[in-house]
Amino acid sequence: MASFLKKHRYALISFVMLLPGLASFFGLFFYPMLVTVVRSFRPEGVTTAWTLRNYTDFLGQASTRQVILLTFFLAIACTLLSIVLSVPLTLLLRQKLAGHRLFRLTILVPITVPGLVGALGLLLFYGSRGWLNLLLMQGLHVVQEPVKINYTLTGLVIFYVWHYFSYTAVTTLSTLEGLDPAFEEAARVAGASPWQVLRHVVIPLIMPGILAGSVLTFMAAFGAFSIPLITGGSYRPLAVQIYKQIEVFTPARWEAASAMAVVMALLQLVFLTFYMRVLRRPTAS
Amino acid sequence: MSDWMIELVDITKRYGNIVANDHVTLRIRRGELMTLLGPSGCGKTTALRCITGQNIPDEGRVFIDGKDVTDVPTHRRELGMVFQNFALFPHMTVFENVEFPLMIRRMDKSERAKLVRDALKLVRLEGYEKHYPRQLSGGQQQRVGLARALVYRPKVLLLDEPLSNLDAKLREEMRFEIKDLQQRLGITAVYVTHDQEEALALSDRVAVMNKGCVQQVGTPAEIYDHPATKFVADFIGLSDFIPAKVVAVEPERVVLDVQGERIAAPPSESVSPGLDVLLFIRPNDVRLRAAEGDRQPNEIAGVIAKSTYLGDKFDYRVDVHGVEVRVQTHGAERFDNGQAVYVYLPHERCRIILESLVCPVR
Amino acid sequence: MRTLRQYLQALLNAKKLLAYTFLLCFFLWVTTPFLMILLKSFGRNWFGKLWFPPEFTLDWYKWAITVTNVPEVLRNTLVIAGIAVTISTLIAIPTGWALGRRQIPGKEVIMSTILLPRMIPPIAYALGVAQIFYRLHLIDTHIGVAIAHVAICAPYAILVLSSTFEGLDERVLEAASVCGANNLRTFFHVTLPLVMPGILSSIIFTFTTSYNEFTLTLMTYGPKTITLPVRTYLAVGEGYWEVTSALSMILIIPSLFVLFMIQRQVQPEKLVGGFKGV
Repeated sequence: MASFLKKHRYALISFVMLLPGLASFFGLFFYPMLVTVVRSFRPEGVTTAWTLRNYTDFLGQASTRQVILLTFFLAIACTLLSIVLSVPLTLLLRQKLAGHRLFRLTILVPITVPGLVGALGLLLFYGSRGWLNLLLMQGLHVVQEPVKINYTLTGLVIFYVWHYFSYTAVTTLSTLEGLDPAFEEAARVAGASPWQVLRHVVIPLIMPGILAGSVLTFMAAFGAFSIPLITGGSYRPLAVQIYKQIEVFTPARWEAASAMAVVMALLQLVFLTFYMRVLRRPTAS
Repeated sequence: MSDWMIELVDITKRYGNIVANDHVTLRIRRGELMTLLGPSGCGKTTALRCITGQNIPDEGRVFIDGKDVTDVPTHRRELGMVFQNFALFPHMTVFENVEFPLMIRRMDKSERAKLVRDALKLVRLEGYEKHYPRQLSGGQQQRVGLARALVYRPKVLLLDEPLSNLDAKLREEMRFEIKDLQQRLGITAVYVTHDQEEALALSDRVAVMNKGCVQQVGTPAEIYDHPATKFVADFIGLSDFIPAKVVAVEPERVVLDVQGERIAAPPSESVSPGLDVLLFIRPNDVRLRAAEGDRQPNEIAGVIAKSTYLGDKFDYRVDVHGVEVRVQTHGAERFDNGQAVYVYLPHERCRIILESLVCPVR
Repeated sequence: MRTLRQYLQALLNAKKLLAYTFLLCFFLWVTTPFLMILLKSFGRNWFGKLWFPPEFTLDWYKWAITVTNVPEVLRNTLVIAGIAVTISTLIAIPTGWALGRRQIPGKEVIMSTILLPRMIPPIAYALGVAQIFYRLHLIDTHIGVAIAHVAICAPYAILVLSSTFEGLDERVLEAASVCGANNLRTFFHVTLPLVMPGILSSIIFTFTTSYNEFTLTLMTYGPKTITLPVRTYLAVGEGYWEVTSALSMILIIPSLFVLFMIQRQVQPEKLVGGFKGV
């Protein structure tokens, strides 16, 4: 025993130090996840038998496809729009114009303030009496009646982008700042116009950063809960739908909720694996 | 009390399949500065880490000051060490850095302050006590490193490529400063470097290492003039290696056959007639003259293949019966490409080297 | 020639103008919602098509404090965040050290495993956490809600600290031991001060995460452990927008402090960070 301890002392110390992290992983993630998975195969209200009914029920509903489509639509639209917003934004910030520190900090606002507060502010701002509609009606006189944005699909996409674009923007910005200016100088010397430099040199070089950031945005948007919960209205993506099984029904439909959660986790994992495959292709790196 | 301050006895250290130190034996005298010289991956750092205790050898023992320290952890070996990247504590001021070893030894506060002041004076850094390492230049940082290593008067000072992060001019300056300090304090020092010029300029003795073996241990002059192996000759300065065969072994000389011509060399151990050897000579010991008149002993005929002007000297590649011999001359006489010349290999400058000899010091 | 230069300059300025317009729009797009909350929380009789409230009042804050019981809610939130930060940091220091400084076979796999909770929608394991906590009677206790938060906070802290430990210069630690310091003293005199910034940023991030955490709280809270985000959610449901706004303004103060800290000393990319495997 003593000789075993002495021989494997190094590995043993490493393992003991890893233990807290592993314990928290297994206790607070793996075990709960297991409980969720097991519960998803139980008949409603029963704790012994096994069934697939929760899955067949959920996947058989006509509305299920719409919910999944909605979740993906919101996540993908939010990811794409975040990229469209982040690229010009970070390119401008990189030039260190006066006041760029303020704008940099602005990027971080949506991920530091509680999502609920952001959502409340957005509902006020885009509401029928919000400043946006006031601007459109009284400032620019382009519309007579207030434009309905809150609780519409468009509105939800805008709110998603507001909340989750930061991940893409920050990652892109740090990639961009890590870029060696020599590449661009070389391209300029070789006769490329600023636009060509951007198109053929800068964008391809920061692509890995953009994609890595967009993965984060996608994950956040796909799992979004608080935002659609209070700003979604009748649009309920998966996370909200799951919570409604617990909140609305008495007794709570834990089994149905668990089955939906497992489907959701699997969808996200499959999509992420696929996305990372694309990411790791040599052209992307 | 033994003469040796540090002894590495038959050290072997493996990393997986790689043998980093292969039966290395090194003995370092009290008060001398020994350099471990060799290319990267030669095992010099491994040997140093055996002295510091960061490596525990698989076989062999380490002695410091006569005591077996093989199983003594680093922090109880009473060493001072200077690192290539300075390794100063970035969160401490210069004063605190130098004070650190004293603080660890729980020394009295006023005593500490005095010793730190002395050490900083020693490296000429008075007035920088409150600076942080990042506020200093590379040379100043390395001086702090020296002060930290010396402040508690360790038995041994270890220097791991201390100058390779400095620029060339500063390097030369610091080289003399280190040597001067070491001599004034009379401290035993082990200096690891891959720079042969540095090794020759600094050391009392040099240990040349390659492929985990000690190739030769000797004074700089011995190493330069009497290299024991082809590697040592090649690593330190320019060399000509001319393939030859031993014809006769006489008490005063060894006669060699070089491409059908006879060359005499000083006597050498373990050679016997018929043995294939290398005739080694430094290019600036070889002399050239135009091929006129009779050839003298130890002269062979050749043709200039290529000549290069180097400012203070000429560099020639001479074709001697198909073997290229490099010659550097300082004379005014110039030879043109294609010119026939006589190449004189002075008897006393010739050395016989056995190519098969790889690890001579065991 | 001169006109040409002037023309180019004007073009350049036009470009700059465009850039600033874009940045300003972006700035307003992000920040005006907060301005509206601020106005709403102080405004009275703000109905109809008015840009600003006609009267200002502190009533909503008084309401928020008395009716929605802000002091207790704030206390809950801070106690829970404090426990979550402490547990996460205590978990992350040894684990981050092991991942950052030790040679461990399959380190990448361990790392991505530990980060897995950040790649799965929290609602999925929040369901399990809730059921387990019901059985253990941890629902509606401060420690219970805090432990639930650790599920999300710990991977974050481990990530930040492992990269901090990894960034330590091996030679500096060697220097300490050559100077005579044993492992323990090296750790306290050299390693710890050097990783302190990392620990601080980890604390800031885990605090923010716990403070803002909604999903896991919603699944584990009870009447005694209402946190600010949950309270805000309930207030939105109750429909008193002015009171909710006042509550939000209180809720936002620590976030502004965190933003300030980030701007002072932490690299923002660490905040979104470290899905190195991705």
